[in-house]
Amino acid sequence: MRLETLGFTNVIDYVPGKLSWFEENQPREGKATDETWIGDVADADVPTCGLRERLGDVRGRTADWDTCVVVGPERVVLGLLRKAELEGDPNATAEQVMRSGPKTFRPNVTLEELLKSMRDHDIQTNSLVTTGDGKLLGVISRADAEATLAHEAPAETAPGI
Amino acid sequence: MPSQVFSVSEVKQLLAQGAQLVDVLGADEFERDHLPGAINIPLKQLDGGAVADLDRKRPVLVYCNDFG
Repeated sequence: MRLETLGFTNVIDYVPGKLSWFEENQPREGKATDETWIGDVADADVPTCGLRERLGDVRGRTADWDTCVVVGPERVVLGLLRKAELEGDPNATAEQVMRSGPKTFRPNVTLEELLKSMRDHDIQTNSLVTTGDGKLLGVISRADAEATLAHEAPAETAPGI
Repeated sequence: MPSQVFSVSEVKQLLAQGAQLVDVLGADEFERDHLPGAINIPLKQLDGGAVADLDRKRPVLVYCNDFG
């Protein structure tokens, strides 16, 4: 480490880093801290399944959700099942039909930044929020993101305040 | 003293013992969000001048974004 070459004898590396600190809901400073972060509003109750589960079994617990996240040990995201896959052959396994390597977002992305990305890429469904090492924290739907921001906006623009 | 720590509680303990907290990410990223009390010395600017305000006698706890 370069600090040691500059005469510092006691240099310690906080290996998990900033994102891990935020993931544990620790205090934060900076310009973005007054905004809503997606890690604060992501829905952790999204259905999940393993690679070898059959769609027929998975469908039984997705209820009103049109998304199921395929995860490995410690909820590491492996893939995604959207409505089209969930409605497919009930004997197929998640691994056979999942969308691999879905786009994910870190918890310190602001809701506004996420929504901009969803609009730019015409994403209408759920976006995944994960830790830096890929563990699922939750999902946030475009509808929820739009509604949350719309709810926050009037307070910022109300006349006379 | 370990040269690596992994938990929030270890970070808090080191800070309570007087460690200096250094964020080595870029200035824009630091302005956006950082750990409370951290000072910003971007890795690319890490030289004798940049560390002038740090106390060589106290521990220095550094962090970046994540494991990557």
